[in-house]
Amino acid sequence: MVPRSFARSPLTVGSVVVVAVWLALAAAAPAIAPHGPLAQDIANRLAPPGPAHWCGTDPLGRDILSRVLYGARLSIPVGIAAVALAVMLGTLIGSVAGAAGGIVDEAIMRLTDLMLAFPTVILAMIISAALGAGIRNAVIAIMVAWWPTYARFARGLVIGARDREYVEAARAVGASPLRVFLRHVLLNILSPIVILGTLDVGRAILTFASLSFLGLGPPPQIPEWGSEIAAGRDYLDQWWIATFPGLAILTLVVALNVVGDGLRDALDPRLRKA
Amino acid sequence: MNLQTYVGRRVLVLPAMILGITLLTFVLSHAVPSDPVAANLGDQAAADPAIVAAFKHRWGLDRPLPEQYLVYLRNLLHGDMGVSITTHQPVLTDLSQHLPATIELATAAMLLSLLLGIPLGIFSAVRRDSVVDQIGRGVSLLGVSMPVFWLGLVALFVFYARLGWAPSAGQLSPRVALPPFVTGFVVVDALLAGQTGTATDAIAHLALPALVLASSAVGIITRMMRGSMLEVLGEDYVRTARAKGLAPRRITFRHAARNALLPVITVIGLSFGSLLSGAVVTETVFAWPGLGSYAFLSATSLDFPAIMGVGIVVATVYIVVNLFVDVAYAMVDPRIRMG
Repeated sequence: MVPRSFARSPLTVGSVVVVAVWLALAAAAPAIAPHGPLAQDIANRLAPPGPAHWCGTDPLGRDILSRVLYGARLSIPVGIAAVALAVMLGTLIGSVAGAAGGIVDEAIMRLTDLMLAFPTVILAMIISAALGAGIRNAVIAIMVAWWPTYARFARGLVIGARDREYVEAARAVGASPLRVFLRHVLLNILSPIVILGTLDVGRAILTFASLSFLGLGPPPQIPEWGSEIAAGRDYLDQWWIATFPGLAILTLVVALNVVGDGLRDALDPRLRKA
Repeated sequence: MNLQTYVGRRVLVLPAMILGITLLTFVLSHAVPSDPVAANLGDQAAADPAIVAAFKHRWGLDRPLPEQYLVYLRNLLHGDMGVSITTHQPVLTDLSQHLPATIELATAAMLLSLLLGIPLGIFSAVRRDSVVDQIGRGVSLLGVSMPVFWLGLVALFVFYARLGWAPSAGQLSPRVALPPFVTGFVVVDALLAGQTGTATDAIAHLALPALVLASSAVGIITRMMRGSMLEVLGEDYVRTARAKGLAPRRITFRHAARNALLPVITVIGLSFGSLLSGAVVTETVFAWPGLGSYAFLSATSLDFPAIMGVGIVVATVYIVVNLFVDVAYAMVDPRIRMG
């Protein structure tokens, strides 16, 4: 099943391992974290990395390693959920545009033009200014900012699939337009869209971390990588506060991007040589 | 289609696009049931119906949405974007004070990423699979995977706190006065006023945030340039040039790189958007007094007149930049005008 070119690159294989390790760490965080994510060791505030706290402690004396491990339990699902929602919304709107054509298509495409003029973070800020900060609203913000990309992609695929023989055949045997659209068009364009979405999970994790760094994510007591880095902003000399959550984001996102690139190369041989 | 018609057509669509942007910004910041009342008045005042009614009336929140939008639009045409709830200044004044700093930062970052990304992309393609290529690919991978706010903190820690090479955060050193306001770009204004000391100080302050902000655009441009260069190097005319016995340097730069640059031009416009996103985050790390810091302040305090202003300005800047990029592309590549 896994194409050989994918398994042959040591970088790709290493990245798969890194992603797997992060998934395992996220799942096992409550069992392996040395401390609770909220437990405060006031006597050891701002302690540098040492035997008691491997990655040091933050200004409230909380164990940074534990908070980084717990942070994975939030960032990974949120990244996946944000992309999944954007993909669903974008596919729905984009395939309606592609199937309907005419003025509906034109209107939807112009709307995506406008949406794409807003940088994600600014859009997220506008939405947060209306809805308030929070995990749910950060996810909504990413969904609202990203659906146009998937909508355009889905529209192109629907237009490509609309006139294929199997669709024509379904129409010829008397399938209703809705059935043709759902069973024969939509089902066939899903896999490239899902792949495109998978490639974006790393970027979504990064965006979510940026939003919570800006205070548009979860409240401060919840362990989250971006807001932990924000907490280290006022303590430049206590480098460990921001360093470890940052490394967590970097390793996970680099690995996800390498896996994504490998996946794309393996599935699209035309790009392999490039 | 000739160039004039193409440019004319694109410019004519611009007002409609900007109108769409205002509508979209308005809908996004109003259509959802928000409660700016409680956020801006505090719980005690929000409990008093008279104060709440007065607040809502002041901001037009007691009228139906379409009417609110029309009022907003009418004021906007008169250059009135409302008054910021946090700074109590007209939003337009706030924006004109903050926009130049952001443009200065984003332009510096864009220049840096072109200066780094284009040569790196060319050499990666020419010396494919060499050490340079590996480094180039590593840089572009790290560039797109790096949390820019974290890179900013690390850079501040290493170059300011530890090595002392970079000045502290901010646009100028504490004892240096702002140059007289002409363009709003501190470096340009200082040079115009002949204050070389101030200009040097401003450039020193600009270097680190611009480099940090450039990181993701460098990655995108290197990757794009490399891919486009590889494609061009495989073309027949490059083989012909080789067969003629032209010097490899001449082929690389005169024949290949010039043509490979074309698709990269489009990416410049598109990555300007991510640059503006990154600017918001970078500015908060480096205490840069730009639009990002202002947006951050207004978003966290539910200051909707201010955040709407930021949204409209940023999206308009993005659209105008991309218009220029497309026109530049059409000028160098006549095939675009046919489409």
